[in-house]
Amino acid sequence: MLLNESLISQINNVIILASFIMIIALVILLTSKTEKIKQLESEVDELKRSLDEMDEQAKLIIRTDIELNKLQEELDKKMSGLYILQRLSRIITTTLQENQIFALIEPNYIEELGFEKASAFLWNEKEKQFICCLHIGYLKDEIETVKKFIDLKNEIYLNLINNQRSISSLRKDEEIFTKEISEIFQVNSFILAPILPKEGEKGFLLLGIDNPEISITEGDEELVMILANNIGQALDNARLFEETWRAQQELEYKVEERTRQLTEALEEIKKVSQRKTDFISAVSHELRTPLTSIKGYASILLTGKLGQLPNEVRERLERINRHSDELVHLVNDLLDISRLESGRTIMKQEPQNLKEIIDHTIDLLAVQLKDKRIDLIVNIPEETFNIFVDRSQIERVFINLIGNAIKFTPEEGRITISSFKIKDQVQVDITDTGCGIPEKDQEKIFEEFYRVDNPINQIVKGTGLGLTLVKRIIEAHKGRIWVRSKESVGSTFSFTLPMST
Amino acid sequence: MAIKVGIGVSIHKDPLQAAKEATEEAKSKLKEDVSIGFIFSSIEFAHPIVLKVIKDLIQSAPLIGCSGLAIISPQGILKRGLGIMLLNLPKDIYIASACVKQINTQPISDPGELLGENLMHGFKGLRRCFGMLFCDGFIPQSSTLISGLQKVLGKSFPLIGASASNTSGSLKSYLYFNQDIFNDGVCGLLWGGKLNFSFGIKHGWKPLGKPRTVTHSEGNIVYKIDGLPAVKLYMEYLGWGLDKLKRELKYISIFYPLGVNIPGQEEYLLRNILRIEEDGSLYLHGNIPEGSIIKLMIGTKESCLQATEQAVDETKRNLYGKSYDLVFVFNSLSRYILLGRRAKEEIKIIKEGLGKEVPLLGLYTLGEHAPLRAIAYQGMTYFHNQTVALLVIGG
Repeated sequence: MLLNESLISQINNVIILASFIMIIALVILLTSKTEKIKQLESEVDELKRSLDEMDEQAKLIIRTDIELNKLQEELDKKMSGLYILQRLSRIITTTLQENQIFALIEPNYIEELGFEKASAFLWNEKEKQFICCLHIGYLKDEIETVKKFIDLKNEIYLNLINNQRSISSLRKDEEIFTKEISEIFQVNSFILAPILPKEGEKGFLLLGIDNPEISITEGDEELVMILANNIGQALDNARLFEETWRAQQELEYKVEERTRQLTEALEEIKKVSQRKTDFISAVSHELRTPLTSIKGYASILLTGKLGQLPNEVRERLERINRHSDELVHLVNDLLDISRLESGRTIMKQEPQNLKEIIDHTIDLLAVQLKDKRIDLIVNIPEETFNIFVDRSQIERVFINLIGNAIKFTPEEGRITISSFKIKDQVQVDITDTGCGIPEKDQEKIFEEFYRVDNPINQIVKGTGLGLTLVKRIIEAHKGRIWVRSKESVGSTFSFTLPMST
Repeated sequence: MAIKVGIGVSIHKDPLQAAKEATEEAKSKLKEDVSIGFIFSSIEFAHPIVLKVIKDLIQSAPLIGCSGLAIISPQGILKRGLGIMLLNLPKDIYIASACVKQINTQPISDPGELLGENLMHGFKGLRRCFGMLFCDGFIPQSSTLISGLQKVLGKSFPLIGASASNTSGSLKSYLYFNQDIFNDGVCGLLWGGKLNFSFGIKHGWKPLGKPRTVTHSEGNIVYKIDGLPAVKLYMEYLGWGLDKLKRELKYISIFYPLGVNIPGQEEYLLRNILRIEEDGSLYLHGNIPEGSIIKLMIGTKESCLQATEQAVDETKRNLYGKSYDLVFVFNSLSRYILLGRRAKEEIKIIKEGLGKEVPLLGLYTLGEHAPLRAIAYQGMTYFHNQTVALLVIGG
């Protein structure tokens, strides 16, 4: 029994001890778990804090991203706007017709600039009203209503134009004014910029957006101002062109009128000249017959076959005979000129030797040359020998020109005849050491009956037709004649003749 | 056997002439009988007479499509234009088309389910491969339409399609179904038989900041995030007041949409904010279920274009070397707005990636329907925002 009690007591002790140990173990475990929980809680807190920090960073990222995106968007918008603007400007500046400028602003350009509606008005000073030049996004009756409202308060718009001021719905300080414009133009947001050409009618351009979700920016305002400015320049160009074109038209008309008058005058001159030529020709013919009779009778009387003549009569008859010769010479020259002018003289052009013609002429004039002891120098190179001329006519040219040179060259003076080749022509120069021709007379000496007023001409008689005849003959050979002269030094007469091939 | 394809495009100002011009061009390229026609157009061509002209020219073949902000055509992006794709299908490829109209004005409990049933009506006993759907971009049921269709066609059945869109600022979009033009509806096309197809779906936005929980939402309206009015999330991140946020909402919604984390998926589902309500709730373009984990997303032009490249690669990878005859592109209009002048680059990436000679047609959409992961029969279809969805089909 006692043994049993002792055993039970021992067992109880063991149980108590075991329980105690278990309690201690549980306490240790609980302590450890509590620490673990605490550690985990601390880690969770740390994670939460990290997450919050990350969230704060996310907020920063988003705010920075918004700014960057806005900037990027504005930049993109500006770039695409400028691109469209450049295209549009190029198009509107290609036309020089004022009414075409606005017609070239097509709806797709306005759309690409980011706007839905566009209108442009120019102020007509005469009619005291705005004229609509452009409307995109408006029906006809809508734009007429817009115009009515603008005309009702035109001083507001004229004020903006005159002050070169743009306005947009971005201006919050002028909200009442901008709201009114928005209502008139049936848009939610808008930009109005003045069109300011240097000359002529001024006006304004308005671009607007109806959609309340789309907002305009300051960048848009700049673009619209540039567009309005370009329209102004295009208007200037067109107006300037119009002005220039009109002036040119006027000038062309005047030139045409003047040409017509001159042609008429020329025709008249030609007619007169023709009549003169015909008259001279007729008169000369009429004169030649009686002159021939006078000269014939005078010559017969001078022979003495009809009886001896008293000295006084002979003297007078000789004078009649001499004057008749001069008159015949004059009439012949006149008739030649008249024939040449009217084209009745046919040039019998043949290959001729220039040197031979000159030598023949010198032979004819040898007495005069000798009398005045003139030193004659002839320099005709072989390459200029072959000419294609009417020999008899060209001989007359040389007789006239060398004869004149002898006439105006003082005794013991010098005459030089030279020639040289210029392409398919020969130029002949006849130079004398005579008294020369005053500059004022040099152009006139080839005119009919013109005689230079000098002492020799006063003594030696002449018809004033020689050089005219020479000029006509040279021209009939498709040549040219001119003179270079200096008073008291001498003159050089130059002319060209065709070469023989 | 290959699918024969003919594409015609017109930008003629007269819609009637445009329809005639585009259809005749497509027909002359097809040179075969028309089995089905697809039409995508900008809003200027949304007119019954346009559909009548096309139907007269393609006769009994079904015609399906919708309006878009812009057309993606072989000639590039057309802001104003009409594109038609006509197909001649081999005998072993089957299609069935159907539509459901007036889904918000008629007591239709589940328009998606109804569309599914209508599509299946002509497809009993045939092997179905995938479905295409087009819905009005302004109806609130864009997300639920898919779940309705999935009830009939199966949860993992691949669907791809577009929410019709319109020019910026307009609130109406149009669906084209045979000779009918309508909104407030949905139309679909079921494909089956011996055909190859593949999808590529990517957006390119990355999650940012800590995860948040949608604590109260109903359909496409998110009331509370982490117990606070939903709008606070944006105010907190941007450091802006409510007025500025409302003013800049369109811009913010594109650059920083909400991303919904789908358990088991790598990609986040994006949601654009259409408006901020007076109580601070966010009206979204697509649903976010209550309890969803969301994050604010961030994207750039570069990440957007990178995603397009990835979508092209994914499309090709999922084909396992099989051939394809045509490409459809359903691209979000948000991407068009974000990319601006670089939008052309995105289309160039697609064309060069999938073959310059392969006929291609598409449009810019208000939302895209596509499996979140483009592994055939494994991805589940969702309603997306800001995403490019590529579909290639071959006989």
